[in-house]
Amino acid sequence: MTPNVVPRDETVDVWDGRLRLHVKVAGDGPPVVFFHSFPGLAWDPFLEQVATRHTVYAPEHPGTSPGDPRAIDQVQTFWELLLCYEELLRALGLDRPAAVGQAYGGMVAADLAANFPLLFSRLVLLSPLGLWRDDAPIPLMQMVAGPPEDLPKYLFAHPDSAAAQAAMAPPADPALVPAAIAQQAWNIGCTTKFAWPIADHGLGRRLHRVAVPALVAWGREDALVPVAYAAEFGRSIAGSQVEIVDDCGHVMQADQPEAAWTAVSKFLTA
Amino acid sequence: MKVSLFEQVPYRYLPEGFENQYSSAVTPPYHIVDPALMHESIYSAYAELMYGARAGFDGIVTTEHSQSSYDMSPNPTLLAYAVAAAAQAEGLDIAITILGRSLGKTREPLKIAEEYALLDCMSGGRLIAGFPVGLSYDANLNAALPAIETRERAREHRELILKAWSAPAPFPWNGRFEKYGQVNIWPRPMQQPHPPVWIPGTGTPGTLRDILRNDFGFVYLSWDGPKLVGREVFDRYWDMADEMGRDRNPYRLAFVQVAAVAETDERAEKEYAEHLMALYHGGLGAIPGTAMAVPGYVEPAGIEAMLRAGGPAGMLARMKTATFKDIVDTQVAIVGSPATVADQIEAFVREFRVGNLLIMLQNGSMPRDLTEKNISLFAEQVLPRLRPIWDDEGWVNHWWPKGQGTAQAVAAAGARTADGPREEGRA
Repeated sequence: MTPNVVPRDETVDVWDGRLRLHVKVAGDGPPVVFFHSFPGLAWDPFLEQVATRHTVYAPEHPGTSPGDPRAIDQVQTFWELLLCYEELLRALGLDRPAAVGQAYGGMVAADLAANFPLLFSRLVLLSPLGLWRDDAPIPLMQMVAGPPEDLPKYLFAHPDSAAAQAAMAPPADPALVPAAIAQQAWNIGCTTKFAWPIADHGLGRRLHRVAVPALVAWGREDALVPVAYAAEFGRSIAGSQVEIVDDCGHVMQADQPEAAWTAVSKFLTA
Repeated sequence: MKVSLFEQVPYRYLPEGFENQYSSAVTPPYHIVDPALMHESIYSAYAELMYGARAGFDGIVTTEHSQSSYDMSPNPTLLAYAVAAAAQAEGLDIAITILGRSLGKTREPLKIAEEYALLDCMSGGRLIAGFPVGLSYDANLNAALPAIETRERAREHRELILKAWSAPAPFPWNGRFEKYGQVNIWPRPMQQPHPPVWIPGTGTPGTLRDILRNDFGFVYLSWDGPKLVGREVFDRYWDMADEMGRDRNPYRLAFVQVAAVAETDERAEKEYAEHLMALYHGGLGAIPGTAMAVPGYVEPAGIEAMLRAGGPAGMLARMKTATFKDIVDTQVAIVGSPATVADQIEAFVREFRVGNLLIMLQNGSMPRDLTEKNISLFAEQVLPRLRPIWDDEGWVNHWWPKGQGTAQAVAAAGARTADGPREEGRA
C-alpha cells in the first residue's frame, strides 16, 4: 500500500503573462515531471507511487484547468505548446528533472526532449503518440468521436478490472456528473487540438536529437497505439531501452500497475 | 413574405432497416448504392428545384454535407449553379440561396468567395450567401479539422470573404489560419458591396448577437419545427434585437420547415408518411449524437447545460424512433390538406415574425412524381396565402437579393428564347 498523497495546486504564469498554468505537486525527492494524456490530469495510484520517491510536478494542459476553458486559445500551435512548457519548467526552477509522458503526454515529453536536449535528465514514454505508420493506424478519431461505451476497448486489455473501472468511473455524487463529463470532453478538445486527426508533427524526423537515457514502455495489446511503434521509438532514440508488457492494453497503470511501477521506478532510480 | 424551395439530396433507396445497422453521416457504406438509382437521386434533386422554380417559388435553397447518405451535396454551389443557369435560359426570376458553404470546414475560403461571386454574376445578382459554421461531423470528422478551432476558423474565413468581395484594391491577408500575398478575386459579386448574408444556426445567444451586430439575416435551421424550441429561440432573437436597437423587420428572419400537402389530411398521411419517416429514421435520426459534438466543438458550459436538461433540445436525439404522430403533433413536419398546411404555417409565421420561409418538400425516400405533386399543391394552394402576410406592415426586405424581382438578365434571356438571339433585349 502506498500512503495517500494529496497534491497541492501551484500556478505559474508563462507566455508573457498570457497563460496561467496549473501544476499539481506532491511528494519528496528528485523531481519528475508528468505529462498527462488526452482526458486531462487524473491523480491516480501510479502518481501516488511515484510521489513516494520523487517530487512529482504534473502540469495541466492549457484549457483543461476547471474554470479557465479559453486558456487554450493562448496556445495556437504545438510548437507554442512546447515553448510554454519549457518556460514553465524554468519558472519552476527545475534543473534537469526526469520526464514521464503518457500517450499524448508522451508525444509532448518526447518532442520537448528532441527540441531541448538538455531539458531533462531522463525520459519515460508510456505508449506515446507522435509517429504514424500506414501499416499500424492509430484509431484516435474513431475513439474520440465514437460511442462512449466503446472507450474501454481502446484503453484497456481488461476493461473489467478494478483499476480500469476506477479510471472510467463518473463522480459518486450524481450532481457532479454533468460538469465532469463536460470537463472531460473539453479536455479532449484541448489536447486533440494538437493531435488531430493524426498526431504526427514530424517527431520521427527529430527523435535522433533526444540525448538522455530513455525508457519506452508499451502494452502488447495496446488497441489505441499499436505496439509496433515501440520498436520505432526504440530505434530512433539512441541507447533507449524498450519494455513490452504482456497482457496489457494502452493504459499500463490500469492493466498492469505492478509492472508499470516496477519498470518506471527501476529506470528512474538507476 | 418570400417563400423558397429548400432541397437536400438524399439517396432515396436506402435498404430496409438501414438506420439499425449504419450511420447516415461519416461512415455510411457505399456498397448499398445502386449507381443507376444514385443517378436518379442526384438528377431528381435538380429536376425538382427547377420544377419549383417554374411553379412560382421565390427562390431555391441548397445545403452542403459530405460523407453523408441523407444529403449528398458536398458542394452546394454546383447544384445551385445548374439551377441558376437553367433559370436564366428559361426566364425564371428566382433567388438562389446557398445555406451554404461551411466556413469552419473549408480549407480554401477564397474558393467560396469566388464560387459565390460567380453564381451571383450568373444569376444576375440573385444570390443569398449563406455562411454556416458547419456541423461538427463535417468540420471535425470529414474535413478532420480540430474541433476547438472550428468557430475561430469560421470567423476568420467570413471576414476574409467579405473583404475579398468588396475591398477597393488587392490586399495581403495574414490570418491565423490563412495567408495570402495578394487577394484579388475575379469576378466579384454583381451585388455590391456583397450579396445578402444569411447565417444558419440553432439560435445560441452568441450566434444571435453576432448576427444582429452585423445586421445579417438569421436562418433558424433546426429540423425541430416551430413548436418544440421555436418559442425560446424566436423570443430570444427578438428580445435581443430590441436590446441592440434593431427593428422588428420580419425579413431579418428565415425559417426551414418540412411540409407535405395532398388533397385531404387523410391522403397526405397515406401518401407521405413512409417517406417522411425515411427522412427522420434513416436520415437525420441516423446521425450519431457523438458526431454532432466532437469534443471541443461545444464549450463545457454548453455541454453541462445540455446534460442537466436531460439531453439536446428538440427532436434530433429522438428522431430515430419517432412515430408519424410524434412528427406531426410537434409540427416537425406539417402535413395535410392545403388548408391545414397553410393554417399551421401562417399561425407560426405571424406569431414569430418570420419573413423568409424555406420549405422542404422532398424528404427521405419520396419519389420524384410525389415530390412534384407536393410542390404543385404547395405552390398553387398554400403559397398564395403566405405571400401577402407582411404586406400590410410595409417592411422592406433588405436581406433579399437585389436582382430578384427586377428585369435584370432573365428578361433578356426570355426575349432571346422567344425571338432568337438579339443584343437589344438586354435590360
